[in-house]
Amino acid sequence: MENKHITIFHGPQHPGITGNMSVELDLIGETIQKATTHVGYLHRGFEKLIERRTVIQAFTIVCRICVPEPDPNEANFAMAVEELTGLEVSPRAQYIRVMVLELSRLAAQFLWMAGQSGSVGLYAVGQWAIADRDLILDLFEELTGARVYHMYIYPGGVRRDLPEGFLQKVQKLLIYMKKRLLDYDDIFINNASFKNRAIGVGVVNKDEAIQNAYVGQVLRGCGIKADVRKDAPYLVYNELDFEVPTQEAGDVYARALVRRAEMDQSVHILEQVIAKMPEGEIMNKLPTHRKFKLPRDDTWVKVESARGEFAYYMAGDGSENIRRMQVRGPSLVHGFTLLEKLLVGQELSDVALIMNSLGICPPEIER
Amino acid sequence: MFDAIKNQFATDDILIKRADLYKVNVTRQRVFELITFIGNNYNYKTLNAITCTDWIEEGHFALTYIISTLDRKSTIMVQTMINREEAHIDSLSKEFIQAEIFERDLAEMYGINFIGNDNLKELSLENWIHTPPLRREFDTLEFVNNNLTFREGREDNLDVKVEMKRIRAEKKAAKEAAKKLEEEVKDGK
Repeated sequence: MENKHITIFHGPQHPGITGNMSVELDLIGETIQKATTHVGYLHRGFEKLIERRTVIQAFTIVCRICVPEPDPNEANFAMAVEELTGLEVSPRAQYIRVMVLELSRLAAQFLWMAGQSGSVGLYAVGQWAIADRDLILDLFEELTGARVYHMYIYPGGVRRDLPEGFLQKVQKLLIYMKKRLLDYDDIFINNASFKNRAIGVGVVNKDEAIQNAYVGQVLRGCGIKADVRKDAPYLVYNELDFEVPTQEAGDVYARALVRRAEMDQSVHILEQVIAKMPEGEIMNKLPTHRKFKLPRDDTWVKVESARGEFAYYMAGDGSENIRRMQVRGPSLVHGFTLLEKLLVGQELSDVALIMNSLGICPPEIER
Repeated sequence: MFDAIKNQFATDDILIKRADLYKVNVTRQRVFELITFIGNNYNYKTLNAITCTDWIEEGHFALTYIISTLDRKSTIMVQTMINREEAHIDSLSKEFIQAEIFERDLAEMYGINFIGNDNLKELSLENWIHTPPLRREFDTLEFVNNNLTFREGREDNLDVKVEMKRIRAEKKAAKEAAKKLEEEVKDGK
């Protein structure tokens, strides 16, 4: 019997979709002929909201741009305002920011692991990963008062000093993580069910990867040592020792191996941060709310998020409002240019697997 | 590189923003020539983003092409101004595949026509017939008040300032009534 040409929607309500978006798939049998990404389900409009707001008002919004990892947004926002206004950040605040960003990276990788393992039916991994992520969220709650949206990294420093005994708690967590991550190798990374599904699937062409502005594990998964923390160091990353893991194959499995190796590197960075944490002030003296004005100037700042380069363009106009802030996360290019290309020729059952490996977060597209 | 740009593109508007970030302002007629020049001669070959800022009071959009070297160690912001009333410029999507989605995004949000980009269809909006939403003249609150209605049962979704004033007035009246009652009791009325 001949296979019919059919069109189906993968999402927006589908357990294998990365957030509020959908992919329209043209299929013959189980094979994808054409993929078209659709967004528009979120109704957020962060960039419009921010245009009419002062620095402190916008600060409460930016962390909501990406639920799995709000902290790179806070860091970008703070760095952009600091660059435009010439604000200095103390060494202690910079080390604390690195600690928050690396804990955030670990938490985001656990969330990715939950999604990626679910896409191949390994649901126990997801339950473990969410439970382990919660241990990090407990620390965030103690430090910032919030589990997910921290509103902690503010222009000029950080909003609160470390509570008593906090570094010891982070140290204790790292000891646990070092042992625990090995369990994930057994249950997930080296699991034949995952390897059989992920090897050779969703292969990214190395030559196209840089020129097309792909970022993060997509680049590193095809052998390119790209990491903002090394390429254009910010905060105190140039004082810390860490590796940029890479793989050559360019497929879903290579991207998973890179992410897993990055979790080890985050633990290694956090250990150094604890050992080197300096004393001193955590927040610079700031102008009052209404006098906190951005000069007529613009800048481009970027950090390495758990899913790759994450950048902000910010322009001021001499008033207390932010004239323009544009978010450039991995998702716009990965979710359209790359995903629509990678899915062609793949099987329907691999859609969730490939999507999860690309780090797509729809709020970054519908900013 | 800066001398070459100054000589070839007759612009002194070159800024060193950080050790790894530069900015060049150039006329719209020469912007693509400049992008090709820095790509071919200085390895600025990755288009990271195209951003737009609406300077409504000056009548133009500032379009910024953000381009990095292949090793990602250096970035240039190439900025040009276009008239916001007749907002159009050539597309970069033939040179950079990812420009297609950046331009589609800006076309929807600002109403800019990127000539040569065949895929400027709706991205996140649906059947939008109003002012492009990121233009400064688009007033979100006014749009909501004119086009949307509150769902039944949400009548308490009122202006916060008015509500606060009403609550304060109610509290004050209750306090005064209690005081009056107390005085009446005291007087034995």
